Amino acid sequence: MNATSHEGHQATLSDGRPPLVVCEDLWKNFSTQQVLKGVDMTIPAGAVVGLVGTNGSGKSTLIKCLLGLLKPTRGKATLFGEDPWNLGTKSKGKLGYVPQVVQLYPWMRVEQIVAYTSAFYENWDPDWADLLLERMDLPRNRRVGPLSTGQKQKLALVLALGHRPELLVLDEPVASLDPIARRELLRSLMDLTLDNQHTVLFSTHITSDLERVATHIAFLREGRLVLFDELDAIKDRVKRLRLKSSGILPENLQIRGALRMQVERDQALVAVTDMDENLLHEIRSRYNAEIMVEDLNLEEIFVELHHE
Amino acid sequence: MGTPFSLLFEIHPSSGVPIYRQLMDQIRLLIASGRLAPGDLVPSVRQMAEELQINLMTVSKAYARLEAEGILERDRGIGMRVKPSTLPGSSEQRLEQIRPLVDQLATLAWQMKLPGDEVLQLVKNSLDLLDTREPQS
Repeated sequence: MNATSHEGHQATLSDGRPPLVVCEDLWKNFSTQQVLKGVDMTIPAGAVVGLVGTNGSGKSTLIKCLLGLLKPTRGKATLFGEDPWNLGTKSKGKLGYVPQVVQLYPWMRVEQIVAYTSAFYENWDPDWADLLLERMDLPRNRRVGPLSTGQKQKLALVLALGHRPELLVLDEPVASLDPIARRELLRSLMDLTLDNQHTVLFSTHITSDLERVATHIAFLREGRLVLFDELDAIKDRVKRLRLKSSGILPENLQIRGALRMQVERDQALVAVTDMDENLLHEIRSRYNAEIMVEDLNLEEIFVELHHE
Repeated sequence: MGTPFSLLFEIHPSSGVPIYRQLMDQIRLLIASGRLAPGDLVPSVRQMAEELQINLMTVSKAYARLEAEGILERDRGIGMRVKPSTLPGSSEQRLEQIRPLVDQLATLAWQMKLPGDEVLQLVKNSLDLLDTREPQS
C-alpha cells in the first residue's frame, strides 16, 4: 500500500480540480539525521487530511517542507501548483497556517491583533472572525502577552481562519486546547469545509478528533508515509481477524498485508491492511479456519500500524 | 416530522464502523420501522452534514450507496426520497389479491341494478384521481 495507489477514490471529492498539495519523493535531513525518507503524497482539493504519527515521526517537518518553511534535501513539493519555497503573494493570501509554537506580538490587545492581521488579507471576513473569537471565548481587550498557552493557540487559530483560507494547515492544533475549545475548533473546521471548497491538513496524535471531520488520513512513521487513503476506506479495509482453525496453526502465518500477529495453537489474532472477501477466502482455505472480522477505530488502527 | 431529523440518528465517530455505514444502517432501520415512509424526503446532504457535524462527503457517500441499492431515489431538483418498496409478486398475483373486493363491488352494483359501464366509469375515475395525486414509478 502506498500513497498514490488509491487516487481513484478521490475523483468524487476533487471534481477534477487540481490537487492543492503534491510532494514526490520528499527527503529531509538535519545534519546526519534523516527525518523524512521519501514521502509521496497528493492532497486533493476539498479534502480534510489528518496527519498522524508518533512524536518524532516527521509530521512538523513534512508540514514545513510543504509550506516552504524548510527546504527539502531531495525531492519536490508543490503548493497551489507552485514551488512552496518561492510562493507568490496571491497563493500566500489563500493559505492559513498555525505552527506548533505560536508567536504573537505580546504588546497588542486581542482585538488589535485581529485588526492588524486582517489588513494582510483581501478576503478577510470580519463577521466570521468575530464569530470565531466568540466561539473560542477570547477576551477582546486583554493583551496577548499574558494569555495562557491555550488562549494563544486559540487566538492563532482565529487569525489563521479569519480569511477563510483555501488551504488551512494546522500543526497539532488541539494539543493545548481544553475540550470545549477543541469542540469549537472542530465545529469551525466543519463550517469552513462544508462547501467542499476548502482543504485542511492538520497533524495530531489525538485520533478521536479526526474521526468526525477528516476525509483522509495520512500515517507517518519514521519519516515514511505508511498509509494514505480515505478514512472510510481505511476503516473498511484495516481489520483485525480472529482465526480459529481445526488444527494447530503455524507460528508464522502467510497472510497478505498482515500487521501484528499473535498465534496461540489453533487460534490467531491478525491485523491486516487490506481485508476483502478474497483474503478471507484465502485464509479460510489455507488454514482451515473460521474467521471473525473485528472493526477497528482510528486509534486501534494507529496502534496496529505502529507495530508493523 | 416534528422532531429534527438529526435526532433520529446516533453517530459514533470513534467506532470502527465508518460513519457512512452507520448512516446507511440507520436509514435502513428508520425505513424498516416505518419512521421513514416511501416517498418521504430525506434532508439534503448539506443539512445532514451540518446537523450531525460530519463531513459532507460522508453523507453524500451514504446517500449514493443507498441510491445504488434501490433504497433511496433521486427526485431531480428536489432531493432524495425513500423509494417505494418493490411490490411483491407479479401483477397477475396482485390482481388476484383484490378479486374479493371486486366481487363484492360487482355484487353490490348488481343488487342496486346499476348499469355496468357506469360502474366501470366510476372505478376508472377513482383510479385517474390517484394517478394525478401521486405518480407511481
